[in-house]
Amino acid sequence: MNFGNILWVLAQGVGQTVLVTLACMLTGLCAGLSVVVLRRLQIRGTAWLLEAYTYVFRAVPVLVLLFIIFFGLPAIGIKVSPLVSMMLSLGLIAGAYLGEVFRGAMESLDPQELVAAEAMGLARGQILVSIELPQMLRLAVPGMLNEFTTVLKYSPFAYTVGIPEITRQATALASTTLRGVEIYLAAGLLYFGIYQLLRAGVRAVEKRFEIPGFGTN
Amino acid sequence: MALLEVKGLVKRFGDRTVLKDIDFSLEEGETKVIMGPSGCGKSTLLRCLNRLIDPDEGQILFRGEDVTRVGTDVRLLRQRIGFVFQQFALYRHLTALENVTLALRKLKGLSGREADEKALLELRRMDMETHRAKYPAQLSGGQKQRIAIARALAMDPAVLFFDEPTSALDPEMSREVVALINRLRFEGVTMLCVTHDVFLARYVTAQVIFMDAGEIRAEDAPERLLSGHHDARIREFFGNSGGSDA
Repeated sequence: MNFGNILWVLAQGVGQTVLVTLACMLTGLCAGLSVVVLRRLQIRGTAWLLEAYTYVFRAVPVLVLLFIIFFGLPAIGIKVSPLVSMMLSLGLIAGAYLGEVFRGAMESLDPQELVAAEAMGLARGQILVSIELPQMLRLAVPGMLNEFTTVLKYSPFAYTVGIPEITRQATALASTTLRGVEIYLAAGLLYFGIYQLLRAGVRAVEKRFEIPGFGTN
Repeated sequence: MALLEVKGLVKRFGDRTVLKDIDFSLEEGETKVIMGPSGCGKSTLLRCLNRLIDPDEGQILFRGEDVTRVGTDVRLLRQRIGFVFQQFALYRHLTALENVTLALRKLKGLSGREADEKALLELRRMDMETHRAKYPAQLSGGQKQRIAIARALAMDPAVLFFDEPTSALDPEMSREVVALINRLRFEGVTMLCVTHDVFLARYVTAQVIFMDAGEIRAEDAPERLLSGHHDARIREFFGNSGGSDA
């Protein structure tokens, strides 16, 4: 078995790795946006809940949370599929971090623009949707890419709940061939390739919504 | 009936009273300028008038209706008052045209095409139509201020508020904006303008309100305030700038 064959075998796990990464990224994005929107709308009674979420989910290790959900919840009659377990652990932890990334981006908006929108008679929700979120998302791109990369790098935990992604394929192959160095090197190359695609995708979106002078003045 | 009548307006921030018993009125089609030293409460007064800041005491009558009373539709009041800011406050992620159409679509419920037509009309009025596709970062200070005025005028407000409209501009652009404000005055636009710019006060206005330490000290024609007023504080304030045009 040459290096090309090893890559071919491991490539069978790329689809699952990409699926887990995208599902967790989407969960994180939804959670992070919910945090920033609820915070901005200042809905009574949600402040402590949002604080608790960002505080707790940033402190708990991904693997511990994954095991609580996948192996713990069935004990009280709640069975969660492997992919959903990943979304509820890695995805929600990413959401807690993204919530902070979005908060930082929100704080760098020009307060004058928001006062102008208020003075115009726009409602809170209209200001949020038309002015704050479009600007905030543009400013948050570097932090988002960073967090998405972290999600990709934590995606091998999916292996522990039985998802046949790249690392699981690599472990299985290494146990039968005992060619660990080449196999894990090939796995690393595949992750690097996925990272490059992810980066190119985010950059393309960033370019598509780029505005002259925005974020530089 | 005055468009705007302010009676006994008081605003406090903690222990500090920043507006003390303010009384004045603004008639339809009239332009008044509010001047005074930094921190005297000019901008706070402007923000109280459209309820960006809630006053503690007093009344604000807008076309005879008390807009300080509980239950006032504050957002509707704000739609009737155009507001132009010192730092332009254009939305950086929107083009000049989109800056003007945003409120037309969101507040007046105009379709995209109707909003574009109305916005282009206002941009033309400000000689800014050719810049409609530019973003704020691609415009000069004077151009930004013209877009901000077009944005305010597009809502057909009953009155236009200016908060230091020339302070962030160089003298040349400042004169441009002053000429524009003067043109609006002759078009019959009702305006209330907070400024430090003596040139603006002399060029544009019929009446200047002078504020100091949260109070209105005088309301008079600019030439009377600027040259040898009987109030020593006013003489002191205009001492260095009263005779010059910039």
